[in-house]
Amino acid sequence: MPERIDLEVPATLNGLSTVRLVLGGLGARLDFSLDDLEDIYLATDHLLRTALDADALDRLSLEVLLGDGVLRFTAGTFRSAKLRADVTMHAEDCLDLCMLLRRTVDDVLFEDEEGAYRIVLVKQRKGGPA
Amino acid sequence: MSGPDERRVVKDPLDLEAAPGQARAFAADDEQEVPAHGGPAADAQGRGREDSEKLDQYLLRRYHLYGDRAAREQLITMYLPLVRSLARRYASRGEQFDDLVQVGAIGLIKAIDRFDLSRGVELTTYATPNIVGEIKRYFRDKGWSVRVPRGLQELNIRLNKVIDELVPKLQRSPTINELAEAANATPEQVLEALETSQAYNSVSLQASPNGEGGEEDAGLIDYLGGEEEAYDTMEDRTTLAPGFAKLDKRERYILHLRFFEGLTQSQIAERVGISQMHVSRLIRRSLEKLREEIGELDAPPVLRPSGDLRR
Repeated sequence: MPERIDLEVPATLNGLSTVRLVLGGLGARLDFSLDDLEDIYLATDHLLRTALDADALDRLSLEVLLGDGVLRFTAGTFRSAKLRADVTMHAEDCLDLCMLLRRTVDDVLFEDEEGAYRIVLVKQRKGGPA
Repeated sequence: MSGPDERRVVKDPLDLEAAPGQARAFAADDEQEVPAHGGPAADAQGRGREDSEKLDQYLLRRYHLYGDRAAREQLITMYLPLVRSLARRYASRGEQFDDLVQVGAIGLIKAIDRFDLSRGVELTTYATPNIVGEIKRYFRDKGWSVRVPRGLQELNIRLNKVIDELVPKLQRSPTINELAEAANATPEQVLEALETSQAYNSVSLQASPNGEGGEEDAGLIDYLGGEEEAYDTMEDRTTLAPGFAKLDKRERYILHLRFFEGLTQSQIAERVGISQMHVSRLIRRSLEKLREEIGELDAPPVLRPSGDLRR
């Protein structure tokens, strides 16, 4: 049974620091390697900072599901079409948010709900102990 | 005319002992008379100390009296082993060894530039306190950019070493629990230390040794061997978007390795010869620079290994 953690933080850079610490602790419980954790930090940092720029948000609502060697991070709810485009639209060989996410997490999903959406990042343990 | 028994070990092609104005022109074949010099390290291999000192004096005179930049560069190259030796003494204090070498190189260059030929001291004697002073100044000026508790600073320094030890031992990136055990800390303390490590500054490798940064000034990176060729190879294949122009060569190279070559931070650390924590800081700092440069993300930063720019 996956363990679920809900987190709500101010939509500020300090809030993102809190998110990193929480994700680090949860990643450590999954025995993620430092490389894997750095990937999660980069992915969530840049996703959320882009979200802060794109959407007028006071607070960020986050959910983390811990499975067997898998961390599933969900952020939202967002309404910005630009954010969605940034996450999905990738110009070939270009370092944009889309490519950054592709290089750091295993899957990027959208959960749609009544004109809004949530973004899901999935990271599997790779570099840790066997 | 000198007889064979009076032949000098180092021929002075400029006859610098002569009165000003009597020095003759430098000829190409004169160089063959100048003994090779391997710097201070060469002394240990049996090369005569006297020869080294004479070569130093010869090159210093070439530079100071005739503005010979090649002589200056040769001196810098010759004395980089001394810089490395001195930097190694400070490498356990949490800074990257290669950064300390570069900072020490600034001290060396200052020493060469300020050397007073009339004082009759050896360059080694004059350069050593300059190099050490520059390194100490670096520690004083480039420390923690925000107030971080001393315990976390010390843990951060330990983690730097522990990561460098564990990666080759485990043949993979360590976990937080492994780091905690090796650093004699709790996983929570390790996470907090890693988070605060982002507050740590590092001197720009592109900074000019004289602090002016003109186009003709060599950056510190130009005094390092090894990776420079790789940086240039990457440059040939990379078209830079406006945001990337703000990054120095190493930052671009590291982003290239991470996001286009797909290397992990640990692999990049091994490739570039710096610690994983330093790679982490450089990646975050580079991406932050891109965000600042690009501003509004309507047009995300673009780096193409080949071809045109895109937004």
